[in-house]
Amino acid sequence: MTIKIKAFGPIADKMNARELELDPPGNLDDLRKALHEKYPQLVHLDFAIAVDRKIIRENAPLSPGSEVALLPPFSGG
Amino acid sequence: MEKKLKNIFVDGPIEPVFISNSIANHSRKTGIGGHSIFLGQIRADPKEGNKEVVAIDYSTYRDMALEKAHEIREETFNKYDLHCMHIYHSLGKVEKGGISLFVFTSSKHRSPAIQACNELVERIKSELPIWGKEILSDDQTNWKVNT
Repeated sequence: MTIKIKAFGPIADKMNARELELDPPGNLDDLRKALHEKYPQLVHLDFAIAVDRKIIRENAPLSPGSEVALLPPFSGG
Repeated sequence: MEKKLKNIFVDGPIEPVFISNSIANHSRKTGIGGHSIFLGQIRADPKEGNKEVVAIDYSTYRDMALEKAHEIREETFNKYDLHCMHIYHSLGKVEKGGISLFVFTSSKHRSPAIQACNELVERIKSELPIWGKEILSDDQTNWKVNT
């Protein structure tokens, strides 16, 4: 089982994918580490992580059903 | 999400006739004394190499954007004494000169409408997960950065 992570805007462009897959991490710090190991291109990109559609800046546990998304800086309007 | 969230997205540009109809729809709301309207327009920004922006292609994280827009709407209604509030943002391609953001607030007297409209525009630009990809005159693209 893997978890799917949504990617948007410049991140989706750079990764050439709207979804990334990872082995399920237990928490957000593990997720950040695993993302950088599996997708080294992400290291130089600026993004926030949203869990269940809320931006979480610190560490927090992740459940298998969490909706995780990588959000580059917004540029609407 | 069980709750039905109000859609704010419009495919392509927001047409001037849509804006004028929206104004006309308020003529029977006679408790209103002032409207404030902000229209965001695609600017043909000059770019290096004698190029310019010819369009912006907008994308979003829709579920999150609608939840956040709902939250912003509720907070703004609680903060200002408003009769009405309408928010529309384009998705997909909008060519230079086209309207991509329409914010419309109405109140009994002008001040709450003007203040709420300004605050909504700032919050929409900084808090909604929307991304604009600039399409340049040579078909190259560049991700827009909000200032």
